Amino acid sequence: MVNSANDPLLAADDLHLSFGSTQALNSASLRVYAGEVLALMGPSGSGKSTLLHCLAGILTPDTGRVTYAGRDLSAMSDSERSALRRTEFGFVFQFGQLVPELTCLENVALPLRLAGVGRRQAQGAAAGWLARLEVADVAQKRPGQASGGQGQRVAVARALVSRPRVIFADEPTGALDSLNGERVMQLFIAAARDTGAAVVLVTHEPRVAAYSGREAVVRDGRVREQEYAL
Amino acid sequence: MSAPVAARARWGSELALGVRLSVAGGRSGWVRLAMISLGVGLGVAMLFLAATLPAVTAVRDARVTARTVDPQQSIPRAADTLLTSEIKSEFRGRAIYGQQLQPEGDRAPLPPGVSRRLAPGEMVVSPALGELLASGDGALLRDRWPARIVGTIGPAGLSGPQEYAVYLGTDRLTDTTGHRVRSFGKSWDDGGMSPLLVLLGVVGLVVLLLPVMIFVTTAVRFGGEARDRQLAALRLVGADAAMTRRIAAGETLAGALLGLAVGGLLYLAVGLLLSRFVPPGLSFYPSDFRPVPVLAVLVVVLVPVVAVLVTLSALRRVVVEPLGVVRRSGDRRRRLWWRLVLPVAGLALLYPMRNGLSGQSTGFEYQVMAGVAALLVGVALLLPWVVDAVVRRLGGGSVAWQLAVRRLQLDSGTAVRAVSGIAVSVAGAIALQGLLAAVEAQFSPETGRDTAQFQSDVMLRQPLDPSGSWVRALRSTPGVRAVGPTSSFRAAAAGAAPDADTTLTVGDCDVLRLFARLDSCADGDSFIVTAPGTAALRPGTYAVRERSLPATDPSAQSWTLPAAARTVPAHADPGLDAQSGLMATPGALAGLKRPLADDVYVGVDPSDPDALDRVRNAAAHLDPSVLVWPVDPRSIENALASIRQGLLAGATALLLLIGASMLVNVAEQLRERRRLLAVLVAFGTRRATLTGSVLYQMAIPVALGLGLAVLTGSGLAMVMQALASAPISADWFGIGATSAVAALVVLLTTAASLPLLWRLTRPGGLRSE
Repeated sequence: MVNSANDPLLAADDLHLSFGSTQALNSASLRVYAGEVLALMGPSGSGKSTLLHCLAGILTPDTGRVTYAGRDLSAMSDSERSALRRTEFGFVFQFGQLVPELTCLENVALPLRLAGVGRRQAQGAAAGWLARLEVADVAQKRPGQASGGQGQRVAVARALVSRPRVIFADEPTGALDSLNGERVMQLFIAAARDTGAAVVLVTHEPRVAAYSGREAVVRDGRVREQEYAL
Repeated sequence: MSAPVAARARWGSELALGVRLSVAGGRSGWVRLAMISLGVGLGVAMLFLAATLPAVTAVRDARVTARTVDPQQSIPRAADTLLTSEIKSEFRGRAIYGQQLQPEGDRAPLPPGVSRRLAPGEMVVSPALGELLASGDGALLRDRWPARIVGTIGPAGLSGPQEYAVYLGTDRLTDTTGHRVRSFGKSWDDGGMSPLLVLLGVVGLVVLLLPVMIFVTTAVRFGGEARDRQLAALRLVGADAAMTRRIAAGETLAGALLGLAVGGLLYLAVGLLLSRFVPPGLSFYPSDFRPVPVLAVLVVVLVPVVAVLVTLSALRRVVVEPLGVVRRSGDRRRRLWWRLVLPVAGLALLYPMRNGLSGQSTGFEYQVMAGVAALLVGVALLLPWVVDAVVRRLGGGSVAWQLAVRRLQLDSGTAVRAVSGIAVSVAGAIALQGLLAAVEAQFSPETGRDTAQFQSDVMLRQPLDPSGSWVRALRSTPGVRAVGPTSSFRAAAAGAAPDADTTLTVGDCDVLRLFARLDSCADGDSFIVTAPGTAALRPGTYAVRERSLPATDPSAQSWTLPAAARTVPAHADPGLDAQSGLMATPGALAGLKRPLADDVYVGVDPSDPDALDRVRNAAAHLDPSVLVWPVDPRSIENALASIRQGLLAGATALLLLIGASMLVNVAEQLRERRRLLAVLVAFGTRRATLTGSVLYQMAIPVALGLGLAVLTGSGLAMVMQALASAPISADWFGIGATSAVAALVVLLTTAASLPLLWRLTRPGGLRSE
């Protein structure tokens, strides 16, 4: 299906999701457009990470629908959703979540290798992204031997290496000091804009949300308001 | 409070805090404690069993010794003497022990477990034999001893409750057919167990116990990473490095003590099961099942001590800081030189015995035990270095391969610890299999005997007329196809020294074929039997006499071995060398009076399973102490083959135990890495990739461990073969079977871990982010 410029790349409609007696999402709806940076804000436990996981096809809502480029995620099989995450989506988490036994270069090359790209080619592309994110010096080190800021930049490189159309970032600077956090965000958003990827950014920090073009507030499992930044 | 007292109190409180933490860690803490105590418990149960084995054997041996008759006693008949004759019988494959008893006075001794003197026609039997005789299954056996059961043999006279035993009262024994005794009980030293059996026992014990110890040391490290994080939290609130070590020691101590309790309960349960299900020949009374006290105390003391030492040793490589844990092992390369010390020491200990065990001074078994243990522990020590050295050189490959290899490069310790048990077991099992195969080959030579005609040898204790009615009685026994008595003379060539004599065996052609390869034979033929390494006899005149008479006896008769006598090769005798000598059919005796028969060969219908027991019944009617022995040496071979099968079954059980520990290890590692696994799945990693990674992660160390085990095990088998003076050879069946079982264990472990892997890799696992 071909999307027009005004069609959202990713859309959530009336999502409901409960974990036991806790209702995490309660009629949550959201639109994400190609190339935009959207910040999902809200207090702890408001449901913003759950919404992000539903948008990425990691969790399946109890009711409601998530569509990516017009395709219904809940109608896809597990392997189809995995393939989508492998090829179209990228992820950055709060603690990087790099594979500790792989070198930083191998970590960045991993999504390409999972998509079937040869080792040499994957590592070549990974080296380019590490240089771009100013962490080429840790390429042969393991994540445990890099600093927190370096590790998070490696995680950003890993999210970008397969040139995804959407990057999901869950508190990407939550574990960094403000100086490191600022630098990571600058490099991250600049690189994402260059690749044309949309970014869905979960944060509760206004200074991180300031990098976005649009903010949505999640409260009690519902996207309460959307406003457009200047 | 003085400083030392305060320090001790602080130590105590820190240990107690560790114990408290181990039981108050929530669900994950309980799981960790349960895993440690179950792992230690399994090991403790095995150690208790090993500590019980000598006690059970000693008690059984003591009872057997107490009923044994000393045949060397030379005692005149008196009111306190008794004539005895041993009965060694069998019924449907199960051994029956017994004695004929003929009291010679009012004060004749009673065997242990027997409360009254037996008159002719009376017998006492063991409870198991009593049950058999009373049952339908025992109908055939009831005919063997036509005597009245007047009592039951008590436990003091039995090796175990399932033993078949019988004491028969008689009045037919004489000074020559019976042994006169004044008491029961063995007073002579028969040299103890054969060195070969000691060797097998020693190696078996080491092979069993080493993996158990490795298993225990692995078990106490279960959940180590979670424990380290807990310790980091304690550092954050002010605990210093020494305090954290003591708290960790306390935590391990709790697991080890609980493991002792679990092990004790398992031991009792196993004891109950064993007393019911062991083979009848090894049965024991519940009261026999007690560990040797010193060994039991050693287990109770050493297991917690070893557990704490292992924990402290593991913590040496970890720096617990308030904000986390740093492992030192990452880039440190393992050194080879000190790992070679033990294998070299093991070889050095075994080298002096390279020419065999005969002539070794007493205590050689300790040297063998130390040597074998050193070599096998050497496998466990060498394996981490081998895995390190090989894995460091691995690269490339699929994502699954890369994830596994990189994981092993970062930390192979956990995987190697789980595998070292397998490696040691396999090395030991291969060594034992190799030794047994060689012994089997040595004791079961291809005899070339034709056993189609005769399968059993009835060994008479008193020679009988070969044409007597007893032969007809045997021949008319249902299921008997052929009866062939043999007689023998001693024969000395004219002019030779009287003691340089040989055996002249007399029998029908069919029977003579049992001893030598005869292409043709008819009554009237005689043969010169040759064996390798002996000089062939020549035709001519021989002085022949009855076998029981001395070489100088004047009653010797002259007999001529005709020049036409053919020279034929002897068949090998099982356990003996081939026998050379002379053979003659009755027609070739030329007027010489045929001596009394001392052996009768019997052929039975192979389709009649009870035929042999009917032969035993008929033989017992001649004399209850007659021995019925199989001609076919394969029965010995079968016995050794069943030992080998038992060994393979034991090794399989051990490997399954180790597989269980590997599974626990894998499960623990997967739990530790569940967040990372969820992340990998989040960005699209296929389950097959993760499954492959788990498989490679287990298979690489196992393959290297097996390689090392096959090398060491085969080498050790050859050393053992040299010690046993057996032919040196490789037992490919043993190597293949044991390795295949080990590989199967890896596959099963991987398969068993998959449900957990799939559960943990659901993308929803990210929710804990």
